[in-house]
Parts: sequence; C-alpha cells; structure tokens
Amino acid sequence: MRRIFAFISFLFFGISSCTSIQPVTSLSFTDYRIAKEARTDTALAGMLAPYRTNMDITMNKVIGFSNTQMNARQPESGLGNFMADGIRVMAEKKYGKKVDAGFINQGGIRSYIPKGNITVGKIFELMPFDNLVVLQEVKGSVMQQFFDKMAADGGWPVSAGVKMEIRDKKAINVSINGKPLDPTVVYLIANSDYVANGGSDCEMLRRIPQQNKGYLLRDALIEFVSDFTRQGKPLDYSIEKRVVNVN
Amino acid sequence: MSINRRKFLEQAAITGGALAISPLLAKAEPPAVKRITILHTNDVHSRLDPFPMDGSRNQGLGGVAARAALIQEIRDERGEVLLLDAGDIFQGTPYFNMYKGEPEMKAMQKMGYDGATMGNHDFDAGLENFATQLSHVQFPIIICNYDFSGTVMESKFQPYKIFQKGDLKIGVLGVGIELKGLVPENLYEKTVYLHPIESANRTADLLRKQGCDMVICLSHLGDKYDDDKVSDEILAKESFDIDLIIGGHTHRFFTEPRKYRNRRGGDTVVNQVGWAGIQLGRLDYSFSGYKKKNLSNAHTVVIGKKTRE
Repeated sequence: MRRIFAFISFLFFGISSCTSIQPVTSLSFTDYRIAKEARTDTALAGMLAPYRTNMDITMNKVIGFSNTQMNARQPESGLGNFMADGIRVMAEKKYGKKVDAGFINQGGIRSYIPKGNITVGKIFELMPFDNLVVLQEVKGSVMQQFFDKMAADGGWPVSAGVKMEIRDKKAINVSINGKPLDPTVVYLIANSDYVANGGSDCEMLRRIPQQNKGYLLRDALIEFVSDFTRQGKPLDYSIEKRVVNVN
Repeated sequence: MSINRRKFLEQAAITGGALAISPLLAKAEPPAVKRITILHTNDVHSRLDPFPMDGSRNQGLGGVAARAALIQEIRDERGEVLLLDAGDIFQGTPYFNMYKGEPEMKAMQKMGYDGATMGNHDFDAGLENFATQLSHVQFPIIICNYDFSGTVMESKFQPYKIFQKGDLKIGVLGVGIELKGLVPENLYEKTVYLHPIESANRTADLLRKQGCDMVICLSHLGDKYDDDKVSDEILAKESFDIDLIIGGHTHRFFTEPRKYRNRRGGDTVVNQVGWAGIQLGRLDYSFSGYKKKNLSNAHTVVIGKKTRE
C-alpha cells in the first residue's frame, strides 16, 4: 500500500512540478600538472610578492645542514627519528628532568627536510602547527596501548632508545633504554599536546595529567637543529631499526 | 563502457518515446548536447608558491600564479566553468603561520573560485580566524553536515548552492570529516558533526527536486580507508542523487576518476587531485539536451579517456 502511494505521489510530483533534468551522459577528464615552465599570472604574482618578501626575512635564515634528504616513511624514517629525538632531548633540557622517551604522531610530519641547508622556513613546514611539548607520567600498561595504536597505524617515530616490532598491527618486544617495557613501571614521556590531548585517536593518554611550559614543538626542533650547528655537526639521520615490521 | 553506452542509448530512446507520445512533455527541447567544465583542487595547504628547487620530488610544481594563468586559459575557451575546492585551504607553509590565511583567500578570490568546502585544517587558527578570512572572498563555504549554531560561522556558510550555467542548473553541496580526535576541541568549539551520508543525501534530494541537472558534492571525508570509516567510496555507493564527488583529505592523486554504482543503480563519480596545488583537475561533462521528467531514473556516465597536459 505504501509502495502504491509512493508511486502515485511520484507520478503526481513528476507531472505537476516543473522539475525536469537533462541527465549527464558523458565525462572526459584532464589532469593538468602545474609545472615549473608554466606561464604565470602577473596580477596574482604581484598580489603575493609583498607577503613573500616580508615572510622571507624570517624564514630564509639558515640554522643547520642535513647530510641527507629526509622524508616521512613508515614504519621508521630518518626524518621521524630526528623529530622524536628532538622532542625528547629538548623536553629534557626545558623541563630539567630525565625523559624516558619522545614520540611524534606520523600524521604530524607535514613536510620533508632536503639535503643541504636547513632554514627556519623548512622547520615551519615540517611542524606548521602550534603544538606544544608536554610531559606525562604514563604507566607501562598504558604505554603498551599507546604502542599498539602506533603499530596499528603502521609505525610512528620514537626517540633513540625505544625499540618495537610490529606484528599483526600490534606492538611486540617493546623496550625502553635496553629494558623490556614493564607494565608496572611509570615512564616520563614527551609528546605534542595534540597527541597527549587524545588527538590521532590517542584516547588512552587523554586523562593523564600534563606538564606544560607552553614550549612550541616547532621552537624545540629549531633549537635542536641549532644545537647541532653550534657543535659543528650536520644532521645525519637514517633508519636504525627502532621500529621494525616482522610480518 | 559499451554496456553503459547501450544503456544510455536505451534510456535516450525511452525518453525520446515519452517525448513523442506525451503532450505534457511536448515542449520542444533542442537535442543539442550541453557541456560544463568543472575545475577542481583540494588540500592546497597554503602552497601559494611552487615547491622550491631543492632536489625534492615536487620541486618547481604548483603555485597560485601558474594555476591562475591556466584557469584563465581554460576560461578563454568560452565554455561554462565551475571552479571548486574540497577543503584544507590552510596550513602547511609559513604563509599560514604569518598571515593566517589572508593571501590564500585573496588568491582564490582572484582566480574566481565558485565555492569551497571546509577541511579539518581550515580550523587550525580557530573558527573565528576562518570566519575573519572569509571577508576576503565572495564565494560561499559550502557544507551541510556541520552544525555551526552558536559559533561565529553560524551565518557564514551555506549547506548548498545552485549555479545556473547557461541552460544547466548545477547543485553543489559539501561534507566535512568528523572533527573529534582530529581537530582540537578548542579550535572547532561548538561545531557539531552530523552524519555525512544522511546530510548529503537529504541535501542532494533537495537539489534534485529543485531541478538540478547535476549534483556535485565537495567532500573532505577522504577517498577510502581500510576500515569502515566513512569515505567518498562509501558515500558514492550510498548516494541516490549525487553525480560527482570532488574529494580531498587523503591527498590521493587519482590516475582516473573512480566510478561507483549508487543506490539508484546509476553512476557516481569520485575524483581527487592530490594536494598542494600540484594538479588542477578538469572534468568536462556533457548532458543530453533532452529534458527528463523521471528524476529517479539511474544515470549512467561514460568516462572518456584521459588526457594529460
């Protein structure tokens, strides 16, 4: 009965209303790659110029050098190792405490570092968000959930001294500074406030109290690179089996 | 493809028959084929300049000055054009850190964008900032599954917009991704995420009933996922009236538009052009010049070969 009603009302609607359409019949598509050689629009270039000039004053400052081109890869990358070391080392300096481990969410790596000079602008592209470096005291059992989240996601950057294997999207054989992860031990870890607040589906960390000095992760990375330069060292990051897929 | 073509011919024959016998439909419609060119971008992420020449994979690609010139060339063909963006206009270069989206919006206005939806990163400097930057544009922010009640965006978005392009009526709606767990709460404030499939289908139905020849959904849901997270693929299969989904979020460079069978048994096409303004997508649609009364009929689409320029 309902069906008949629907049919009749449709007929009524179809005839009485003036809605009729001209259906789509075919589609062809073109992908324009916007290449270096492309002609440019002078009006738009002119609109942009003053913004760029002002920005370049800040962003073109060279703060360091990388021996390698670094890209975001999973389960592990030189770029991720650099960033995770950066958050841990600088958190330790800023907070004056021994920090057991530092982490970066994979989705938080927003760019790459080219081989050669590292500018302030490159670090802004790598970490454009105004995320803060925060510390949390996290029990080993909760750490396991956090590592499992990283494993399910394909592997996130971890600082030197953290090792894990990924099997069937779970974290196994996790160790921190040479010792197997102990579910009863409390670890002091550094994360961005984004992750610590439950971002990237890190609900397990959300209710854990944070120590927060308002220290921008981007500033931490800039200072981390600058420290290398002050010591006369280039960045030389590569994969070192911190995170390994075992199936 | 030949099957689709046969279907189309059959449908054309049926429609033609109806035209011949029904006095109600006797209004003479010229059988001329009508066309529209849809140009689209997604996830431009503040990439106003081309990637620098630093040996990286994308060096030299993109940039708004080159995109603007290309768009102008296409407009010079004198066809009907719709220029759309699927969100994440903001965030990713120091331009955004320094100017909070002002040059991005001004550039889009100069290029003549007709509409855009909102991506999760468009919340990055806060809702109030996004609303402020909208003062630089005249095109609408189109989104139907965010309830902005009680926020500064309340009066600054549209769930859909209908564009009259020549004889064609094109309805555009937009859907955004779930914000919880993705965007910090202090940035999206009281914005309520509504189910994108229900919202999109309801809005698309409305657009079809208002006589839209084509319904386009701008989407920042992402093309597809390993799990059952809602995506363009799921939306396409669950849709009734959406002809085209212009996607984003997953930064995928499609090798060709994907075609899905929708709930009416017709075709819903999904396309996405990577990110950073490296590519501009162009979809040239042809329409049967015959008006069709039966709105619920399935529309099948033949996708032509790719040309790359």
